[in-house]
Parts: sequence; structure tokens; C-alpha cells
Amino acid sequence: MLTAEQNDELTQVDAGTPMGEVLRRYWYPVAFTRELAEFPVKRVELLGEFFALWRSPSGRYGIVPEACPHRKASLAYGVVESNGLRCPYHGWVFDEAGACVDQPAERDDTRFGDRVSAQAGVAEEMGGLVWAYVGPAPAPRLPRFDTYVMEGFRDIGWADLPCNYVQIMENAVDPHHVEWLHGRYFQFIGRHEGFTSPASFAKKHQKVGFTPFEWGIIKRRVLEGASEENDDWKVGHPLVFPYNMRVGGGGVHQMQIRVPINRTTTRFMLYTVHRPDEGYEHVEQPVVPDYRIPVVDADGRHVVNYVEGQDIMAWVTQGAITDRTTEHLGRSDIGVAMLRKMFREQMDRVARGEDPLGTIREEHERIDLPCEKDKFHAGAQFALDFCDMGSTRFSPMLDAIKKIHVSAAERVASGSS
Amino acid sequence: MQAPPDRRFAADAEAHRRDAPRHCPACGAPPAIATEFWEGTARRFYCSCSACGWTGEITPTGDVAVGHEPEH
Ligand code: FES
Ligand SMILES: [Fe+2]
Ligand SMILES: [Zn+2]
Repeated sequence: MLTAEQNDELTQVDAGTPMGEVLRRYWYPVAFTRELAEFPVKRVELLGEFFALWRSPSGRYGIVPEACPHRKASLAYGVVESNGLRCPYHGWVFDEAGACVDQPAERDDTRFGDRVSAQAGVAEEMGGLVWAYVGPAPAPRLPRFDTYVMEGFRDIGWADLPCNYVQIMENAVDPHHVEWLHGRYFQFIGRHEGFTSPASFAKKHQKVGFTPFEWGIIKRRVLEGASEENDDWKVGHPLVFPYNMRVGGGGVHQMQIRVPINRTTTRFMLYTVHRPDEGYEHVEQPVVPDYRIPVVDADGRHVVNYVEGQDIMAWVTQGAITDRTTEHLGRSDIGVAMLRKMFREQMDRVARGEDPLGTIREEHERIDLPCEKDKFHAGAQFALDFCDMGSTRFSPMLDAIKKIHVSAAERVASGSS
Repeated sequence: MQAPPDRRFAADAEAHRRDAPRHCPACGAPPAIATEFWEGTARRFYCSCSACGWTGEITPTGDVAVGHEPEH
């Protein structure tokens, strides 16, 4: 349990709050690269604020708060020009640094552009996503986590969920829920809908462990029939502070992204790369495909016949901001307690003027995160279960993805790789 | 509904609250309205008084008096 004050503090995202200031020290994906290729300016909501994001004709990205400093019209309806974003209302122009470089209705000697900076953030492209940093300068580097930069076949499933991001992050340090929500509950739904749910998801947990590390918390488990020598314990996989979780296995690599759009809306994204360890032949993708995953059906009931739909059901039904003053945690929830401590520590660090956990200021090529290869000691079956029983089922790329895994396995079997 | 105040320009809002004229230069009543606008580096207050009907611009200049010379 927490006090109401602690719950309030933990779940804030707005500027000027301790947690809101922590969250403003990280980069977030705010658009698909293809969106700005289709139309070069987009309205973006992030951390409870609105922004105009644009792509210049030369391919650079800019992000400024949505309201024009002149008289507050939306710059998200701006005209993209070579020197910046021109306000649709009276034509002021703001460049990528936020500087006002044109006030066409003022005479040369009555301009005051240097006093009305739009106070820009920074934006960059990586892995089919446009990323933005809207916190205090100087911006840290955009962390190049393995999933975003590795070779492989990609797709991105996503949905906007009506709940606070913290309860989604608490799920990332909750190994036990797998055997119940994706085990017993999945079997129950499968029996009624006439399908067989994946057996490996129902394996019993014998031990769970959590290790803080430089990017967050590594989560480990020992499942029935396995030992501490199995990947699930020896390697585990991490919660990547403060809003991601890296998962995978069997040639699937995934970052589960939970962007705090505002206090009670979270953009959930499944950034997936299919790359079997052996036998993979690269397939070029001019654009990274994205697709919506279902949240509720026509009757407003949660869609619970796939893994992430079950998670979403749990997160959303906890309430828009779950009431932690009346929850009842047990020993098995110790990971949740550790995560709350980590959030609290970062608030203190930022208040002291330090960089919070996972800030990187050095130039780097790629950050490899620990992640099991042999997930749930299920071997290659994990990739097929992943395709049929998870969100990939709704991907327009489903057939291509299955083919990648199957033909890689065939190549290995025939010894041609 | 009013939009929330724009945090980027809190200092400008504060300066306006501090510096907007409080009295009509003609009759001393509070101006009915004082709209601030900017012209180059100058801040000007376009004021009108509903008590006496005076309308005009008030410009804080600071200590330095600025003149100009014709081109020569
Ligand atoms: S409101 Fe943007 S130029 Fe006037
Ligand atoms: Fe008009
Ligand atoms: Zn007067």
C-alpha cells in the first residue's frame, strides 16, 4: 500500500511535479517515421503537453510546443518550409532550435523575434520511429538499444490505453502474472473459444528474482522443470527504466514501450524484430509497418484471446490511476516495491540536479540489453506461439514473419546456413 | 475554457502584472484596459480610461533617455 500522497507523486507526469521532471529527462517515440513522410507535420501529445513535430524538406526533425508564442494558434497546422515551421495564422517562422526567424507583419525595426523563442525540444529518427526529447538542455544522447538498430524484420503493434503508465510498468516486474493471466486464464478462454493456449505460458514459478542494473531492473524466474542454469534465471530480461521492457526469445526481439501521453493515457507499442539466430536471410523493408492491436470489442469488452490483450485488460481494469491506498501486496510483489523505490530515487536525483538512471551522454553505436534466448525453456516453439498467440496475429506481416522463422529453421535443418 | 498559462512565458506575464499602468494619466482612475504590445525592444501599453475617456500609449523607458540623430 501507499499513502494517497505517495500514489499521487508516483503517477504524476506534468511539468513541475517531481515525477514529471524525471520523465522529462528521457527520449520518447512520438511518431512513426512513415507518418511524417506521408505528411510532414504532426500534433503530438507527450507528458500531458501538446507539441508540433515536423520534418524539414532536408530530412531534419523539429519539435516545439504547439501554441504559437504570438497569439497561440496551433503550430501543428503549420507550413513546413526550408527554414522552419511557419505558423498558419500570421506567418511567424520557428526553426529547429525554436528561434523565431520571421515576423512578416512587423517592420524591420519593430521585430522582436529574439524575445519569443518557442523553446524547442530535439527530435531524431531511429528504427522507423521519430524520437523526441523535451526536457532541459543539454539533451542526453538517444539510447540506441539493440532492438531499434539490429538487423531483422520489423513491425510495430500499438494501442492507446486509458490508464496511467506506472501500473503498466509495475506489470514488467511481476513475473507471477504470466502463469495466471497468460496461463490459467488463457486456458479458460481457449476452452470456451475452441483453441489451445500455449502450454509453456502456464508453467509454475518456483522462484523469482530482481537485480537493479544500469538500465533498470533485470527480472528472473525459475519455472517448474528448470533450474538456475536456464536462461529464464541466468539471463532474465529487463525493465528498461522508466517506460520500457525488453523481451524476446527464439529469434524474436521486442521492446515493449509505454509512453506516458498524459496522466491517464499511455501509448503502448510492441516494437518487434524477427531475427532467428541461425538461418536468417535478410528481407529489406522500405518502411517499418505499424498496426493497431485490438483493445475492446464492439460491446466494449476487452479482447482477451491474445497475450497482450490479457495484459491490457488487467492494466486498464485496475483503474485510470489505480488506487494504491487499498491494494494488498504480498511477498510475490516484491519487484513492484523495488520499482517504486527506483522511481522515488530518481526524483531525488533529479531534484539534486543529477542525471537519472539510464541517461547516456556518450556517443555510442548500440546498447545490448540482457534477454533470454531460450524463453520458458520452450525452444523454437516460443517464436510460433508468439506469432499465433500474441499481438503479431493482428500484424499485416504475419505471413511474412512466420515464413522467416520457418525457412530459417529449414535452412538450419538442411545444413545450408 | 481558458487554456492553462504557457509556462514558457511566465516571466513575461509576471513583468506585465508588475508594470501595467495602474492610473490614468489624465484623471488618476484605474485604466479600463491596458494592452501590452512589443515594438523592437520597447514594451508599450495601449491604455484607455472609461472615467474620463483618455486613450493613449504609455511606454516605460528606464533610466536612459534615447534620442536620435537624423542621417548625416
Ligand atoms: S498566432 Fe502564430 S503567427 Fe500569429
Ligand atoms: Fe480571416
Ligand atoms: Zn482617466
